[in-house]
Amino acid sequence: MEFLSARSVEEALQLLRAHGEAASILAGGSDLMIQLARGEVHPALLVHIEGIAELSGIAQHGNLTIGALTTHRQLATSARLACGYLALQESAASVGSRQTQEVGTLAGNICNASPAADTLAPLLVHAATVTLVSDARGERTLPLQDFLRGRRTTARQGDELLTRIELERVPARTADAYCKVGRRSAMEVAIAGLAARLTLSDDGQYIAEARIATCAVGPVPCRATSTEEFLKGRRPDERTLREAGALLAAGIAPIDDTRATARYRRSVMEGLLGRALRICTARVSITT
Amino acid sequence: MIELKLTVNGREERVSIEPAETLLDVLRNRLHLTGTKDGCREGECGACTVLLDGKPIDACIYAAQAANGRRIETIEGLSGEQLGSVQRRIVEASGVQCGYCTPGIVMTLTALLREHPRPDRQLVRAALSGNLCRCTGYTQIVDAALAAAGDEARVES
Repeated sequence: MEFLSARSVEEALQLLRAHGEAASILAGGSDLMIQLARGEVHPALLVHIEGIAELSGIAQHGNLTIGALTTHRQLATSARLACGYLALQESAASVGSRQTQEVGTLAGNICNASPAADTLAPLLVHAATVTLVSDARGERTLPLQDFLRGRRTTARQGDELLTRIELERVPARTADAYCKVGRRSAMEVAIAGLAARLTLSDDGQYIAEARIATCAVGPVPCRATSTEEFLKGRRPDERTLREAGALLAAGIAPIDDTRATARYRRSVMEGLLGRALRICTARVSITT
Repeated sequence: MIELKLTVNGREERVSIEPAETLLDVLRNRLHLTGTKDGCREGECGACTVLLDGKPIDACIYAAQAANGRRIETIEGLSGEQLGSVQRRIVEASGVQCGYCTPGIVMTLTALLREHPRPDRQLVRAALSGNLCRCTGYTQIVDAALAAAGDEARVES
Protein backbone atom coordinates (compact mmCIF):
# COMPACT_ATOMS: atom_id res chain seq x y z
CA MET A 1 0.00 0.00 0.00
CA GLU A 2 1.36 3.35 -1.07
CA PHE A 3 0.90 6.57 0.90
CA LEU A 4 0.92 10.03 -0.66
CA SER A 5 0.26 13.33 1.13
CA ALA A 6 -1.51 16.01 -0.88
CA ARG A 7 -0.72 19.61 0.05
CA SER A 8 -3.49 21.23 -1.97
CA VAL A 9 -6.90 20.38 -3.39
CA GLU A 10 -5.43 20.36 -6.91
CA GLU A 11 -2.76 17.87 -5.88
CA ALA A 12 -5.36 15.61 -4.24
CA LEU A 13 -7.60 15.76 -7.33
CA GLN A 14 -4.72 14.82 -9.65
CA LEU A 15 -3.87 11.83 -7.45
CA LEU A 16 -7.53 10.77 -7.38
CA ARG A 17 -7.82 11.19 -11.16
CA ALA A 18 -4.78 8.97 -11.70
CA HIS A 19 -5.63 6.29 -9.14
CA GLY A 20 -9.42 6.60 -8.84
CA GLU A 21 -11.09 3.52 -7.38
CA ALA A 22 -7.81 1.99 -6.19
CA ALA A 23 -7.25 4.83 -3.72
CA SER A 24 -8.76 5.58 -0.32
CA ILE A 25 -8.85 9.13 0.99
CA LEU A 26 -7.27 9.44 4.43
CA ALA A 27 -8.07 12.42 6.66
CA GLY A 28 -7.84 11.83 10.44
CA GLY A 29 -8.13 8.09 9.93
CA SER A 30 -10.33 7.37 12.95
CA ASP A 31 -12.55 5.10 10.81
CA LEU A 32 -10.25 4.13 7.91
CA MET A 33 -7.28 3.04 10.03
CA ILE A 34 -9.52 0.58 11.91
CA GLN A 35 -11.00 -0.74 8.64
CA LEU A 36 -7.46 -1.22 7.27
CA ALA A 37 -6.32 -3.05 10.40
CA ARG A 38 -9.35 -5.35 10.22
CA GLY A 39 -8.70 -6.07 6.54
CA GLU A 40 -12.11 -4.68 5.55
CA VAL A 41 -10.62 -2.43 2.87
CA HIS A 42 -7.59 -3.00 0.62
CA PRO A 43 -6.66 0.25 -1.16
CA ALA A 44 -3.51 0.26 -3.27
CA LEU A 45 -2.96 3.88 -2.30
CA LEU A 46 -3.82 6.19 0.59
CA VAL A 47 -4.28 9.81 -0.47
CA HIS A 48 -3.59 11.74 2.74
CA ILE A 49 -5.44 15.07 2.72
CA GLU A 50 -5.30 16.05 6.41
CA GLY A 51 -2.76 18.81 5.82
CA ILE A 52 -4.80 20.76 3.24
CA ALA A 53 -5.46 23.90 5.28
CA GLU A 54 -7.98 25.41 2.84
CA LEU A 55 -10.41 22.54 3.59
CA SER A 56 -10.70 23.38 7.27
CA GLY A 57 -12.85 25.96 9.03
CA ILE A 58 -16.35 27.35 9.47
CA ALA A 59 -17.71 30.51 7.84
CA GLN A 60 -21.15 32.10 7.55
CA HIS A 61 -22.25 34.24 4.61
CA GLY A 62 -25.97 33.53 4.60
CA ASN A 63 -25.54 29.76 4.59
CA LEU A 64 -23.13 28.17 7.03
CA THR A 65 -20.16 26.69 5.17
CA ILE A 66 -18.07 24.02 6.86
CA GLY A 67 -14.79 22.86 5.33
CA ALA A 68 -14.53 19.12 4.77
CA LEU A 69 -11.60 18.69 7.16
CA THR A 70 -13.15 20.56 10.07
CA THR A 71 -12.67 18.19 13.01
CA HIS A 72 -15.29 17.04 15.49
CA ARG A 73 -13.32 18.89 18.14
CA GLN A 74 -13.56 22.14 16.14
CA LEU A 75 -17.29 21.61 15.68
CA ALA A 76 -17.75 20.81 19.36
CA THR A 77 -16.01 24.01 20.47
CA SER A 78 -16.85 26.52 17.71
CA ALA A 79 -18.68 29.66 18.82
CA ARG A 80 -20.16 29.94 15.31
CA LEU A 81 -22.29 26.84 15.86
CA ALA A 82 -23.67 28.13 19.16
CA CYS A 83 -26.14 30.32 17.22
CA GLY A 84 -28.67 28.01 15.62
CA TYR A 85 -26.58 24.89 15.04
CA LEU A 86 -26.34 23.43 18.54
CA ALA A 87 -27.50 20.01 17.30
CA LEU A 88 -24.38 19.72 15.14
CA GLN A 89 -22.23 20.81 18.06
CA GLU A 90 -23.89 18.29 20.38
CA SER A 91 -23.53 15.47 17.86
CA ALA A 92 -19.84 16.22 17.22
CA ALA A 93 -19.17 16.30 20.97
CA SER A 94 -20.74 12.84 21.27
CA VAL A 95 -18.59 11.14 18.61
CA GLY A 96 -16.05 8.79 20.20
CA SER A 97 -13.71 10.49 22.65
CA ARG A 98 -11.55 13.59 22.93
CA GLN A 99 -8.74 11.70 21.14
CA THR A 100 -10.85 10.69 18.14
CA GLN A 101 -12.61 14.07 17.99
CA GLU A 102 -9.18 15.74 17.53
CA VAL A 103 -8.56 13.87 14.28
CA GLY A 104 -11.99 12.79 13.00
CA THR A 105 -13.45 15.14 10.36
CA LEU A 106 -16.97 16.07 9.30
CA ALA A 107 -16.42 14.88 5.71
CA GLY A 108 -14.98 11.66 7.11
CA ASN A 109 -18.12 11.06 9.16
CA ILE A 110 -20.24 11.75 6.05
CA CYS A 111 -18.23 9.63 3.58
CA ASN A 112 -17.91 6.72 6.01
CA ALA A 113 -21.74 6.70 5.82
CA SER A 114 -22.33 4.67 8.95
CA PRO A 115 -26.04 4.18 9.67
CA ALA A 116 -25.24 5.44 13.19
CA ALA A 117 -23.10 8.45 12.20
CA ASP A 118 -23.90 11.11 14.80
CA THR A 119 -23.42 14.25 12.72
CA LEU A 120 -25.67 13.20 9.83
CA ALA A 121 -29.08 13.70 11.50
CA PRO A 122 -28.24 17.31 12.53
CA LEU A 123 -26.91 18.03 9.03
CA LEU A 124 -30.14 16.65 7.52
CA VAL A 125 -32.43 18.90 9.59
CA HIS A 126 -30.40 21.87 8.36
CA ALA A 127 -30.94 20.71 4.74
CA ALA A 128 -27.20 20.30 4.26
CA THR A 129 -25.64 20.03 0.83
CA VAL A 130 -22.26 18.53 0.03
CA THR A 131 -19.93 19.80 -2.68
CA LEU A 132 -17.71 17.38 -4.56
CA VAL A 133 -14.91 18.28 -6.93
CA SER A 134 -13.12 16.22 -9.55
CA ASP A 135 -10.28 17.10 -11.88
CA ALA A 136 -12.20 15.81 -14.92
CA ARG A 137 -15.70 17.20 -14.31
CA GLY A 138 -15.28 20.13 -11.94
CA GLU A 139 -17.65 20.86 -9.07
CA ARG A 140 -21.11 19.50 -8.24
CA THR A 141 -23.34 20.12 -5.23
CA LEU A 142 -26.07 17.77 -4.06
CA PRO A 143 -28.32 17.39 -1.03
CA LEU A 144 -26.72 15.25 1.70
CA GLN A 145 -29.79 13.00 1.65
CA ASP A 146 -29.11 12.14 -2.02
CA PHE A 147 -25.39 11.70 -1.36
CA LEU A 148 -26.14 8.96 1.22
CA ARG A 149 -27.02 5.93 -0.91
CA GLY A 150 -27.09 3.14 1.67
CA ARG A 151 -25.18 1.56 4.50
CA ARG A 152 -21.54 2.68 3.99
CA THR A 153 -22.38 3.71 0.43
CA THR A 154 -22.33 7.23 -1.00
CA ALA A 155 -22.63 8.90 -4.39
CA ARG A 156 -18.96 9.88 -4.34
CA GLN A 157 -17.10 8.81 -7.49
CA GLY A 158 -13.56 7.48 -7.09
CA ASP A 159 -11.98 10.63 -8.49
CA GLU A 160 -14.05 13.05 -6.40
CA LEU A 161 -13.12 14.91 -3.23
CA LEU A 162 -15.77 16.22 -0.83
CA THR A 163 -14.64 19.79 -0.17
CA ARG A 164 -17.39 21.51 1.80
CA ILE A 165 -20.73 21.14 3.51
CA GLU A 166 -23.35 23.92 3.51
CA LEU A 167 -26.18 24.32 6.00
CA GLU A 168 -29.19 26.58 5.50
CA ARG A 169 -29.37 29.86 7.35
CA VAL A 170 -31.55 29.45 10.45
CA PRO A 171 -34.84 31.42 10.40
CA ALA A 172 -36.15 33.45 13.37
CA ARG A 173 -37.83 31.66 16.33
CA THR A 174 -35.94 28.49 15.47
CA ALA A 175 -33.84 26.12 17.57
CA ASP A 176 -32.37 22.66 17.16
CA ALA A 177 -31.21 19.74 19.32
CA TYR A 178 -29.55 16.33 19.00
CA CYS A 179 -30.48 13.51 21.37
CA LYS A 180 -28.81 10.12 21.45
CA VAL A 181 -29.27 6.87 23.31
CA GLY A 182 -26.28 4.70 24.17
CA ARG A 183 -25.16 2.62 27.12
CA ARG A 184 -22.70 5.30 28.21
CA SER A 185 -22.10 8.92 27.28
CA ALA A 186 -18.64 8.58 25.70
CA MET A 187 -17.04 6.17 23.22
CA GLU A 188 -20.47 4.97 22.24
CA VAL A 189 -21.97 4.29 18.84
CA ALA A 190 -25.59 5.52 18.87
CA ILE A 191 -28.24 2.86 19.51
CA ALA A 192 -30.69 5.49 18.32
CA GLY A 193 -30.19 9.17 17.53
CA LEU A 194 -32.52 12.02 16.62
CA ALA A 195 -32.05 15.62 15.54
CA ALA A 196 -34.85 18.17 15.48
CA ARG A 197 -35.09 21.72 14.16
CA LEU A 198 -38.21 23.56 15.29
CA THR A 199 -39.57 26.91 14.09
CA LEU A 200 -42.40 28.44 16.12
CA SER A 201 -45.09 30.79 14.78
CA ASP A 202 -44.84 34.59 15.32
CA ASP A 203 -46.85 34.35 18.53
CA GLY A 204 -44.74 31.41 19.73
CA GLN A 205 -47.82 29.22 20.22
CA TYR A 206 -47.70 26.91 17.19
CA ILE A 207 -45.17 24.86 15.25
CA ALA A 208 -44.55 26.70 11.97
CA GLU A 209 -42.08 24.07 10.78
CA ALA A 210 -40.61 20.92 12.30
CA ARG A 211 -37.69 19.02 10.81
CA ILE A 212 -36.85 15.63 12.25
CA ALA A 213 -34.05 13.26 11.25
CA THR A 214 -33.09 9.93 12.78
CA CYS A 215 -29.98 7.75 12.79
CA ALA A 216 -29.17 4.15 13.73
CA VAL A 217 -32.74 3.05 12.98
CA GLY A 218 -32.30 2.31 9.26
CA PRO A 219 -29.52 1.79 6.70
CA VAL A 220 -29.21 5.55 6.17
CA PRO A 221 -29.94 8.50 8.48
CA CYS A 222 -33.00 10.24 7.03
CA ARG A 223 -35.74 12.82 7.57
CA ALA A 224 -39.07 11.71 9.06
CA THR A 225 -41.35 13.64 6.71
CA SER A 226 -44.73 12.27 7.84
CA THR A 227 -43.93 13.18 11.46
CA GLU A 228 -42.82 16.63 10.27
CA GLU A 229 -46.13 17.08 8.42
CA PHE A 230 -48.10 15.96 11.47
CA LEU A 231 -46.37 18.49 13.73
CA LYS A 232 -46.86 21.46 11.40
CA GLY A 233 -49.49 23.91 12.69
CA ARG A 234 -49.98 22.16 16.03
CA ARG A 235 -49.19 23.39 19.51
CA PRO A 236 -46.02 21.76 20.91
CA ASP A 237 -47.94 20.36 23.91
CA GLU A 238 -47.46 16.99 25.59
CA ARG A 239 -50.31 15.34 23.71
CA THR A 240 -48.93 16.41 20.32
CA LEU A 241 -45.44 15.24 21.27
CA ARG A 242 -46.82 11.85 22.37
CA GLU A 243 -48.81 11.37 19.17
CA ALA A 244 -45.88 12.49 17.02
CA GLY A 245 -43.62 10.04 18.88
CA ALA A 246 -45.97 7.16 18.14
CA LEU A 247 -46.17 8.18 14.48
CA LEU A 248 -42.37 8.36 14.25
CA ALA A 249 -41.93 4.95 15.90
CA ALA A 250 -44.43 3.40 13.50
CA GLY A 251 -42.64 4.89 10.49
CA ILE A 252 -39.12 3.60 11.13
CA ALA A 253 -37.77 0.13 10.37
CA PRO A 254 -34.89 -0.50 12.78
CA ILE A 255 -33.01 -3.80 12.96
CA ASP A 256 -31.94 -6.14 15.76
CA ASP A 257 -28.17 -6.12 16.23
CA THR A 258 -25.60 -6.60 18.98
CA ARG A 259 -26.30 -3.13 20.39
CA ALA A 260 -30.09 -3.30 20.71
CA THR A 261 -33.30 -4.91 19.47
CA ALA A 262 -35.55 -3.28 16.90
CA ARG A 263 -38.31 -3.12 19.50
CA TYR A 264 -36.08 -1.26 21.95
CA ARG A 265 -34.98 1.18 19.24
CA ARG A 266 -38.58 1.92 18.32
CA SER A 267 -39.59 2.56 21.90
CA VAL A 268 -36.65 4.86 22.73
CA MET A 269 -37.15 6.79 19.49
CA GLU A 270 -40.63 7.69 20.67
CA GLY A 271 -39.15 9.23 23.81
CA LEU A 272 -36.25 10.89 21.98
CA LEU A 273 -38.63 12.90 19.79
CA GLY A 274 -40.41 14.38 22.79
CA ARG A 275 -37.11 15.11 24.53
CA ALA A 276 -35.61 16.84 21.46
CA LEU A 277 -38.74 18.92 20.78
CA ARG A 278 -39.00 20.05 24.41
CA ILE A 279 -35.34 21.16 24.26
CA CYS A 280 -36.02 23.02 20.98
CA THR A 281 -39.07 24.79 22.45
CA ALA A 282 -37.08 25.86 25.50
CA ARG A 283 -34.22 27.09 23.32
CA VAL A 284 -36.54 29.15 21.09
CA SER A 285 -37.99 30.87 24.16
CA ILE A 286 -34.50 31.68 25.48
CA THR A 287 -33.30 33.25 22.23
CA THR A 288 -36.43 35.29 21.47
CA MET B 1 10.90 1.18 3.48
CA ILE B 2 10.02 4.85 3.85
CA GLU B 3 12.09 7.49 5.58
CA LEU B 4 10.17 9.43 8.20
CA LYS B 5 11.19 12.56 10.10
CA LEU B 6 9.55 13.16 13.48
CA THR B 7 10.23 15.46 16.40
CA VAL B 8 9.70 13.25 19.43
CA ASN B 9 9.95 14.83 22.87
CA GLY B 10 11.93 17.71 21.40
CA ARG B 11 14.44 15.46 19.60
CA GLU B 12 14.55 15.09 15.86
CA GLU B 13 14.28 11.44 14.85
CA ARG B 14 14.75 9.85 11.42
CA VAL B 15 13.31 6.39 11.11
CA SER B 16 12.66 3.88 8.31
CA ILE B 17 9.21 2.34 8.35
CA GLU B 18 6.85 0.10 6.37
CA PRO B 19 3.98 1.98 4.66
CA ALA B 20 1.14 0.65 6.80
CA GLU B 21 2.71 1.21 10.22
CA THR B 22 0.80 3.16 12.85
CA LEU B 23 2.37 5.91 14.93
CA LEU B 24 2.12 3.54 17.91
CA ASP B 25 4.14 0.84 16.09
CA VAL B 26 6.84 3.35 15.20
CA LEU B 27 7.10 4.79 18.73
CA ARG B 28 7.23 1.38 20.42
CA ASN B 29 8.99 -0.88 17.94
CA ARG B 30 11.28 1.48 16.03
CA LEU B 31 12.06 4.17 18.61
CA HIS B 32 11.69 1.80 21.61
CA LEU B 33 9.55 4.29 23.51
CA THR B 34 7.49 1.59 25.20
CA GLY B 35 5.93 3.89 27.77
CA THR B 36 3.10 4.43 25.28
CA LYS B 37 0.93 1.35 25.75
CA ASP B 38 -0.61 -0.95 23.16
CA GLY B 39 -4.17 -1.66 24.34
CA CYS B 40 -7.13 -2.18 22.02
CA ARG B 41 -5.55 -1.05 18.69
CA GLU B 42 -8.98 0.33 17.72
CA GLY B 43 -9.06 3.79 19.30
CA GLU B 44 -11.31 2.69 22.15
CA CYS B 45 -9.12 2.55 25.26
CA GLY B 46 -6.73 5.52 25.11
CA ALA B 47 -3.71 3.57 26.49
CA CYS B 48 -1.73 4.78 23.44
CA THR B 49 -2.56 8.48 23.88
CA VAL B 50 0.26 10.77 22.74
CA LEU B 51 0.26 14.48 21.89
CA LEU B 52 0.51 15.33 18.19
CA ASP B 53 1.30 19.04 17.78
CA GLY B 54 0.01 19.38 21.35
CA LYS B 55 -3.29 17.54 20.81
CA PRO B 56 -4.14 14.20 22.42
CA ILE B 57 -4.68 11.44 19.85
CA ASP B 58 -4.85 7.64 19.82
CA ALA B 59 -1.49 6.62 18.29
CA CYS B 60 -2.86 3.12 17.50
CA ILE B 61 -5.18 4.43 14.78
CA TYR B 62 -2.96 7.21 13.44
CA ALA B 63 -0.87 6.52 10.34
CA ALA B 64 2.80 7.04 11.10
CA GLN B 65 3.32 8.67 7.71
CA ALA B 66 0.62 11.22 8.53
CA ALA B 67 2.83 12.37 11.42
CA ASN B 68 5.80 13.05 9.11
CA GLY B 69 7.45 16.36 9.99
CA ARG B 70 5.27 16.86 13.05
CA ARG B 71 5.82 17.19 16.80
CA ILE B 72 5.04 14.26 19.11
CA GLU B 73 5.13 14.13 22.89
CA THR B 74 5.09 10.83 24.76
CA ILE B 75 5.13 9.90 28.44
CA GLU B 76 8.94 9.67 28.26
CA GLY B 77 9.09 13.39 27.50
CA LEU B 78 7.25 14.50 30.64
CA SER B 79 9.80 13.58 33.28
CA GLY B 80 13.52 14.25 33.53
CA GLU B 81 15.26 13.79 36.87
CA GLN B 82 11.90 14.15 38.60
CA LEU B 83 8.35 13.19 37.79
CA GLY B 84 6.10 15.82 36.25
CA SER B 85 3.34 17.35 38.34
CA VAL B 86 0.54 15.14 36.93
CA GLN B 87 2.61 12.00 37.48
CA ARG B 88 3.59 12.98 41.04
CA ARG B 89 -0.01 13.75 41.99
CA ILE B 90 -1.24 10.45 40.55
CA VAL B 91 1.31 8.60 42.72
CA GLU B 92 0.29 10.60 45.81
CA ALA B 93 -3.44 10.03 45.22
CA SER B 94 -2.90 6.27 44.64
CA GLY B 95 -4.28 6.78 41.14
CA VAL B 96 -2.42 3.72 39.83
CA GLN B 97 -3.46 0.11 40.17
CA CYS B 98 -2.21 -2.10 37.34
CA GLY B 99 -0.73 0.97 35.64
CA TYR B 100 -1.44 0.02 32.04
CA CYS B 101 -3.75 2.98 31.37
CA THR B 102 -1.58 5.43 33.32
CA PRO B 103 0.71 6.79 30.56
CA GLY B 104 -2.30 7.53 28.34
CA ILE B 105 -4.13 9.19 31.20
CA VAL B 106 -1.10 11.33 32.06
CA MET B 107 -0.87 12.51 28.43
CA THR B 108 -4.59 13.34 28.26
CA LEU B 109 -4.43 15.26 31.55
CA THR B 110 -1.28 17.11 30.43
CA ALA B 111 -3.14 18.34 27.33
CA LEU B 112 -6.19 19.25 29.41
CA LEU B 113 -4.20 21.30 31.95
CA ARG B 114 -2.41 23.21 29.20
CA GLU B 115 -5.77 24.17 27.68
CA HIS B 116 -7.69 24.62 30.96
CA PRO B 117 -5.25 25.35 33.81
CA ARG B 118 -8.07 25.30 36.42
CA PRO B 119 -10.56 22.63 35.28
CA ASP B 120 -13.46 21.56 37.47
CA ARG B 121 -14.24 17.92 38.25
CA GLN B 122 -16.73 17.66 35.37
CA LEU B 123 -14.21 18.91 32.81
CA VAL B 124 -11.59 16.43 34.04
CA ARG B 125 -14.08 13.57 33.82
CA ALA B 126 -15.11 14.59 30.30
CA ALA B 127 -11.46 14.86 29.20
CA LEU B 128 -10.83 11.32 30.48
CA SER B 129 -13.81 9.81 28.64
CA GLY B 130 -11.49 8.26 26.05
CA ASN B 131 -9.13 6.68 28.59
CA LEU B 132 -10.37 3.40 30.00
CA CYS B 133 -9.17 2.26 33.42
CA ARG B 134 -10.44 -1.27 33.97
CA CYS B 135 -9.20 -1.28 37.57
CA THR B 136 -11.78 1.54 37.92
CA GLY B 137 -9.69 3.94 39.95
CA TYR B 138 -11.13 7.05 38.35
CA THR B 139 -11.91 8.92 41.58
CA GLN B 140 -8.25 9.02 42.60
CA ILE B 141 -7.20 9.94 39.06
CA VAL B 142 -9.61 12.88 38.98
CA ASP B 143 -8.43 13.97 42.46
CA ALA B 144 -4.85 13.84 41.18
CA ALA B 145 -5.71 15.97 38.14
CA LEU B 146 -7.33 18.64 40.33
CA ALA B 147 -4.33 18.64 42.69
CA ALA B 148 -1.95 18.95 39.71
CA ALA B 149 -4.00 21.91 38.45
CA GLY B 150 -3.44 23.58 41.83
CA ASP B 151 0.33 23.02 41.50
CA GLU B 152 0.47 24.65 38.08
CA ALA B 153 -1.57 27.63 39.32
CA ARG B 154 0.89 28.18 42.20
CA VAL B 155 3.87 27.97 39.83
CA GLU B 156 2.36 30.69 37.63
CA SER B 157 1.49 33.11 40.43
